[in-house]
Amino acid sequence: MRWNPITSREEALTHLETVAIPHPWRRSIGLLDDDEDRSIGYISIFPGSGDDRSRANVGYILAAEYWGQGIVTAALRIAVSTVFADLPEVVRLQALVEVEHRASQRVLEKAGFLREGLLRKYGYCKGEIRDLFIYSLLSTDQLRI
Amino acid sequence: MDPEVKNSNFSEIITLRPLEVSDVDNLMVWASDERVARFCPWEPNTKREQGLDFIINRAIPHPWLRAICLNGKPIGSISVTKNSGNDACRGEIGYNLAWEHWGKGIATKAVKMAVKAVFEEWGPELERVEGLVDVENVGSQRVLEKAGFYREGLLRRYVVFKGRSRDMVMFSILCSDVENCSL
Repeated sequence: MRWNPITSREEALTHLETVAIPHPWRRSIGLLDDDEDRSIGYISIFPGSGDDRSRANVGYILAAEYWGQGIVTAALRIAVSTVFADLPEVVRLQALVEVEHRASQRVLEKAGFLREGLLRKYGYCKGEIRDLFIYSLLSTDQLRI
Repeated sequence: MDPEVKNSNFSEIITLRPLEVSDVDNLMVWASDERVARFCPWEPNTKREQGLDFIINRAIPHPWLRAICLNGKPIGSISVTKNSGNDACRGEIGYNLAWEHWGKGIATKAVKMAVKAVFEEWGPELERVEGLVDVENVGSQRVLEKAGFYREGLLRRYVVFKGRSRDMVMFSILCSDVENCSL
């Protein structure tokens, strides 16, 4: 993730109000627990603007205690099945993943994304320049089971 | 015998310099050509005013855009975009060359000169220069390969222009790939 961890309730509220809620396509991953629907993470799909609006970046986050159970993969598949209808100008979803982040690469592969290549020294993540894998899923791709 | 005619090494006669309003008629030679515009997002210019508009409103204010000159006469243009924030480590190269001068290694030479210049001028902040080339634009792919770029992958349906989705090949060159790069 590109941003630093949020450490206070005030920061979280600010983030929700200024970033998350006005976002063009962000869906909470909800856990139904004793009839209470709690948010345990989110999937975010961010289309470009102008000439880049056919392309959207995918990001996701999940509370650490829920890792390793296939939750993000399942949520991503649900997101992918609706996002092309919700954002009809988008033909390509893409995700950039750090080389060391094997778990995230597996999530994308299981959700049907194709790894297209390694982009060397592509961008800063938390103050360091990283090599990033680029993955994509097209509106015309069949979802892999 | 004129040594420049005999000499197939263009290093003395290809130069890069900023575009000026007085270059408009030379610019129109390539900007009006369908063959040059084919893999670009823009349509061929039909009026001189469009050329002037480009020079005044796009080329001159651009962070890094140069005319490619042969014996001092502009025959094309080359630019490197500058990014900010988390993307400041990379710039994207693009170029156009008048059709009559294709196939002589001029674009390759201009790309090498531009890459060297931006790595020097933008200092340690710039680590990567990338180029995105339409998968059907084999000529431009060869230019970047000959200029020392690495082909990193095919980005499917990466952009839409002229009504069609385009698959683009991503190329990059790092400062560390360039000889005598000081980083």
